[in-house]
Amino acid sequence: MQEAGSMPDTVRPKRPLKSWFDVRHRKVGTWAFALNRLTGIGLSLYLIIHLVILSLLLQGEQGWNDFVTLVKSPFFLTLDVILLFGFLFHGLNGVRVGLVGMGIGVDNQRTLFWVLMAVGIVLLLAGAWLIFTL
Amino acid sequence: MMAEQQVQFKVLRYKQGQASPTFQTFNLTVNEDTTVLVALQDIRRDQDPTLILRHSCHHASCGTCGMKINGQEQLSCVVKALDLGTQTVMVEPLDNLPLISDLVVDMNGFYDRYTTPEMMYLRESEFLTEADLPEGIEKWLRFENCVECGCCVSACPIAGSDAEYLGPAALAAAWRVVAEPRESNPQEALEWVDNEHGCWRCHAAFECSEVCPSDVDPAGAIMSLRGELTRRKFRRLFGRR
Amino acid sequence: MASITADQKTTKKVAGKDSAGAWWIVQAITGLLLILLLGLHMIAHHFVVEGGLRNFEEVIDYVSNPVIFVLEVLFLIVVTPHAMLGLQSIVMDLGPGESAARTITWVFRILTIVILAYGIWLAVALQNL
Repeated sequence: MQEAGSMPDTVRPKRPLKSWFDVRHRKVGTWAFALNRLTGIGLSLYLIIHLVILSLLLQGEQGWNDFVTLVKSPFFLTLDVILLFGFLFHGLNGVRVGLVGMGIGVDNQRTLFWVLMAVGIVLLLAGAWLIFTL
Repeated sequence: MMAEQQVQFKVLRYKQGQASPTFQTFNLTVNEDTTVLVALQDIRRDQDPTLILRHSCHHASCGTCGMKINGQEQLSCVVKALDLGTQTVMVEPLDNLPLISDLVVDMNGFYDRYTTPEMMYLRESEFLTEADLPEGIEKWLRFENCVECGCCVSACPIAGSDAEYLGPAALAAAWRVVAEPRESNPQEALEWVDNEHGCWRCHAAFECSEVCPSDVDPAGAIMSLRGELTRRKFRRLFGRR
Repeated sequence: MASITADQKTTKKVAGKDSAGAWWIVQAITGLLLILLLGLHMIAHHFVVEGGLRNFEEVIDYVSNPVIFVLEVLFLIVVTPHAMLGLQSIVMDLGPGESAARTITWVFRILTIVILAYGIWLAVALQNL
């Protein structure tokens, strides 16, 4: 008797990216999983980029101030809003994943998701407004 | 006479030796009662006898006819073609299980994994106490909800990338052992799932529970396992056994 | 009622317990802490200053405050493992074999240490500007 899971599918080899991100015909939980994964990857890249950029400070005043001028342009402010969306979605959905993943609130996980998203939309709008008006 | 309609069925075809699967389109006249399974049988009988598929009970009890219909995992015996609301109905075999031919996948690995914990096939009655017992019967017995159709495994995004992942069906079975151990030791089932490719591999997509045709709620079961394991880990951390 | 499978047991492939669950709990706890720490970080650096972002002098002045220094280092110590554990989890979702999994674990541990080391060094270096 062969071991469980040991037979490979030679006809349809696994396609991880399709399996994770092709969310057509899927419900909101799978959308949340896919977006959590995307934002997680994006934020991890951002962490590294951010640390590299901070080292500009070591090169003195001019370099940093020029950089600040650049990122106050509308294009970069828009990127900031996208970043904020990433933080908010990942963090708020993360609350759901953390709770549910420990067996808490499982029966209401869909409602929990939408409540958290509602909070997120409010924070996103407030944050976007501040980003563009400060 | 029931209203009839022409529907196109776009069915995945594969025979051993082909480079890769292809789609074949069949036109069929159906009425409002025609299920996708009956439509496929009609196609096989009248248009292409080389089309292979599995079926048995025809009333959502055996789990044999699980397949993807318009991209969603369902038991084809209870899906009425006209209820889908599309001119073309896409029919594909379940994902994440090795394809043998056409709509037939290899279920061996699935069954092997499913029977690894000492799975109870029967569980205590959840029938209403008001339901009268017939004479000579002491109590009701119920079979487990799970009909081993494989729809949950097909829908799971992680089963699609990790061949080692135990998967929703096996994990739900393990939870049943923990929730209702009777003479068996639930510790064994808990240890079986407490690892990298067990219950901790799940990322809360919940698609398995969405597609389950039989009210198993595998996602709920996985989270219950994790809840139980989390509690035990914390208890161990703080000294209490 | 005895289990039907008693006589029919197939070869059990019992992987047994490993540390995956413990690491997931670490992920959850760091995630929870980040809601607070990242929230504070975002507000402090982007939402309270006029113009949004601080210029050079303002940054140096701000990070030389010992409370801010401690908070930033704390933030780094929490966010880096969370990010690396998350990325590692994605790679583990590909179902690598046991030896590949061990290598992957070490790669991400090293990455975590490198990023932490650089970040803390940078925070200290900025104090001396």
